[in-house]
Amino acid sequence: MVKRKSLISTFVFILVLLTLTSFAVAASYPAPRGFVNDFANVMDQRSRAEIQLIAEKLQKEQGIELAVVTLTSTDPLDPKEYITGLFSTWGVGGPEDSGLVILLSIAEGAIEVEPGYGLEGVLPDGLIGAVIDQEGIPHFKNKDYSKGLVNMARAYANILAGEKFEIKKEEAGGTGWLTSFVIFLFIVILLRRNRKYPPGGTGSTGGSGGTRRPVIIMGPTRTPGPSRGGGFGGGRPSSGGFGGGRSGGGGAGRRF
Amino acid sequence: MKKSTQILLVIAVIVVLMVVSVVGKYNSLVELETGVDARWAQVENQLQRRADLIPNLVNTVKGYASHEERVFTDIADARARLLGARSPEAQMEANAGLDSALGRLLALSEAYPELKADTNFIRLQDELAGTENRIATERMRFNESVQTWNATIRKFPTNVLANLMGKQQKAFFEAAPSARDVPQVQF
Repeated sequence: MVKRKSLISTFVFILVLLTLTSFAVAASYPAPRGFVNDFANVMDQRSRAEIQLIAEKLQKEQGIELAVVTLTSTDPLDPKEYITGLFSTWGVGGPEDSGLVILLSIAEGAIEVEPGYGLEGVLPDGLIGAVIDQEGIPHFKNKDYSKGLVNMARAYANILAGEKFEIKKEEAGGTGWLTSFVIFLFIVILLRRNRKYPPGGTGSTGGSGGTRRPVIIMGPTRTPGPSRGGGFGGGRPSSGGFGGGRSGGGGAGRRF
Repeated sequence: MKKSTQILLVIAVIVVLMVVSVVGKYNSLVELETGVDARWAQVENQLQRRADLIPNLVNTVKGYASHEERVFTDIADARARLLGARSPEAQMEANAGLDSALGRLLALSEAYPELKADTNFIRLQDELAGTENRIATERMRFNESVQTWNATIRKFPTNVLANLMGKQQKAFFEAAPSARDVPQVQF
């Protein structure tokens, strides 16, 4: 009895440990607040509003999602690792991976910009770096983070002018197995019913069969809802209103 | 309904269920393996991209430091080895070889201030650094997909099917400790 008790407590302990660690990993990136995420609190109200306007316009008219993030520190990751992880966690960009993230980290004195796969053509790394050098760095050196970020956002929006991307969100799939199973069950039940009532037994006859059937029919229509993003390539978590876009880890960065 | 028919029906249900689940497993294995291959193709894309950037970079540097012949031949050789490498192992090795040759090329900018200030040179350096980060990212994702694959084909009952299909574990690619860093300036 004592043995079993200790076994159970060990099990519970392991379970708690597992939940804690998985929670810790998930919590290393903050939840997005919107297009402008001034976590370090270094921007003035007007600049935030200005970037918000630029980002809203980009999303509404061109299907491009811009996220601006400021942090006090990216510790324990280096800024580049952080922005790549943040990008895929937030899923910035529409179905054509049309996202752009600008990250400013105060402690490291780092500015990083990463484009989604879909923007790599219009925004090559060299151009991304040039914008940082011209629009960002001079202001960041004077600790005018607001001005630098607004100028950078505006410059990228200008470069992206005229580019259009798909906006609509993808639907989750990947219920093939379940669907065929449900269809199969449905056929079996139909067959059985027909056997039981050979002449024309379809109406309001079946007692138990009648009640069971609608429940099963609900199956395929209900499952896609809560399904977790679908099959293989479906690892597209979209949190905080972003469209689930992905990036390849490119872009450019500077220390100031 | 006769008892024998009932039993037959139950057997039929079980058989069909098994077939459906085996087909499903088979398909998901195929999909998973295709995914791993596609991930490697992404790494290869970035390696290719890196090789494509080098002639531009070399030409820019030549404009300021034309007599540094040794560095240029080294980098041309390293690039040729990368382009000639076929197996993933050879590709990663050649890529590491390119790292040191590139490091020496970029180090030249310290001795030539005009080169260091050249906008074209700065741009190409950004492209190169971006490509290196992409290689690191895609390699990490490749490793993740290999991990999923290896775990899946070891789990019961998928392992039985995987054995029948002759599917084997795949090898990881360990990132070199310096893979994340931009080439360091060294003399």
